[in-house]
Amino acid sequence: VTGGRTRNVGAFVRARRAGWERLEALAARAESGRLPLGEVRELDRLYRRAAGDLAFARGAFPGSDAEAHLAQVTARAYGALYRPHGGSAALVWRVLRVEAPAAVRGHLRALALAAALLAGAATAGALAVALDPSAAELLVPEQVRDAIAARQMWTGHLLQVAPGVSGSAIAHNNLTVAGLAFALGLTAGLGTAVLLVTNGLLLGAVLALAAQGGMAGPLLAFVAAHGPTELSALVLAAQGGFVLAGAVIDPGEWPRGAAVAAAGRAAAPLLAIVVPALALIALVESSVSPAPGLPGWAKGAVGLALAGALWAFLLAPGRALRPPS
Amino acid sequence: VSDAPELRFETPERVALHLELAGLGARAFAYLLDVLLVFLLWVLALVVYSISGDLLRQVLALSWAGQLLAVGAVLLSGWGWDVAWEVAAGGRTPGKRALGIRVVRADGGPVGLVESLARNVLRAIEVPLGYAPGVLAVALGPRRQRLGDLVAGTLVVRERRVDLSRYAAPDRAAPDPRFAALRGRADALLAADEFERLVDFLARRPDLVPEARARVASRLAVALARRLGAPPPEEPEPFLEALAADYAGSGR
Repeated sequence: VTGGRTRNVGAFVRARRAGWERLEALAARAESGRLPLGEVRELDRLYRRAAGDLAFARGAFPGSDAEAHLAQVTARAYGALYRPHGGSAALVWRVLRVEAPAAVRGHLRALALAAALLAGAATAGALAVALDPSAAELLVPEQVRDAIAARQMWTGHLLQVAPGVSGSAIAHNNLTVAGLAFALGLTAGLGTAVLLVTNGLLLGAVLALAAQGGMAGPLLAFVAAHGPTELSALVLAAQGGFVLAGAVIDPGEWPRGAAVAAAGRAAAPLLAIVVPALALIALVESSVSPAPGLPGWAKGAVGLALAGALWAFLLAPGRALRPPS
Repeated sequence: VSDAPELRFETPERVALHLELAGLGARAFAYLLDVLLVFLLWVLALVVYSISGDLLRQVLALSWAGQLLAVGAVLLSGWGWDVAWEVAAGGRTPGKRALGIRVVRADGGPVGLVESLARNVLRAIEVPLGYAPGVLAVALGPRRQRLGDLVAGTLVVRERRVDLSRYAAPDRAAPDPRFAALRGRADALLAADEFERLVDFLARRPDLVPEARARVASRLAVALARRLGAPPPEEPEPFLEALAADYAGSGR
């Protein structure tokens, strides 16, 4: 017997097992909800005792099932004990309310870069078509050109993975585009930039072409309600991509892997805003945008109000930048 | 002691914890299970839709209701499925739960919304590549992280369910009378790791080839009987069982 503990692994397990089982039960309940204070104290006490048992088992019974079991139980209790305060819903809400605005405001240069690339490319696309209408053959997919030439309303999706693949369902999925804009940050930002530029060029070129064909009014009326928020979401996802890219290009004094993980943690709250924004705007796109009874100015007002609300939520001053400890 | 790669971290109380990392097979299989589950849910939805009367059709014909369902379905059948489960169920999607693996942060803590979003949104570039970088990274990388795990700072660990019944005290009512002389001596005779290996053998013997089983049993029995100063037992396996039972039942 050593310090109150036996060298017989069977006796050791029998003496301590009830405590480990109680610890596991408490940890499972703590993972799925809240514990009363008394049980939290018990969880803490049993966790410390199991950690001590683990240290003892590692020395006395290395490689035994008892040690493996203790390692599992201790790790699980550790996760339950050090999990952030509040249930899943409270944690999700805090990410939306606190971490996402902080992530936007904490990386304003990445935001400016994303917005500038999209706006610059859109301007370039519009100018190219305005100066030389044959540029549209290069920049705008054939079916869109045909539709405008035939003076039909073009109701395709605003965002694309790349020009020319507009037919595929995946390409039309705004979520995929936003996810790519974020993930392609790993290509040192090149992929994100290409995505922004191709989408911007297309957008500008289509608008210019529609204006030449006398279709600018209907087109703008169609995209007015959902366009501003969709483009905002793309810019936010690309902002996250550029934050990742910053860690890939210049990890500073960290190992590159650690720098990328830290940047990923810093940028991912942006996704928590982008995903619900795109889900909500998909509803607007299917109900408000095609509504024939609504005049164009009303759709524009809806669109600007939605995008304005999004940016006000993210940028409005006076909110805590750090989660309360 | 297993050689599998481990996640090692230290708690604030300076307890070093090790968690075994999940391998490529378990992760790929869990992924396929999740894909299959989502597919079956779609089949179920289709069945419900086709056998339901006009009411559901009329509800879906309302553009907002149909769209609401469509948007929710798209979210949930993509990586929304993974994010929702990982956040709500401690890093376990149904597929991962079935395979006994879960996602944790590099510091051993549970994943939250932010980590889960980061690791699953990165599928946007991994799926078009057929998960090739992820498969290579999980198979060869020291921490078995795919791109999403690298960006989110997460790892996938194995949850071993250990059966502690081997340490249960034996039934004292019916000790084997042939080995009455053993009673109370196994505790001093066996080291803890020898007991573990002995129980490993006793648990695994139904799976062994009969010749190998007999050979190992007799070798163990002869060596242990020599330590006791006893002649080799005629039946090795009952002798080993009695020894293990005596060890597990003794000590304080």
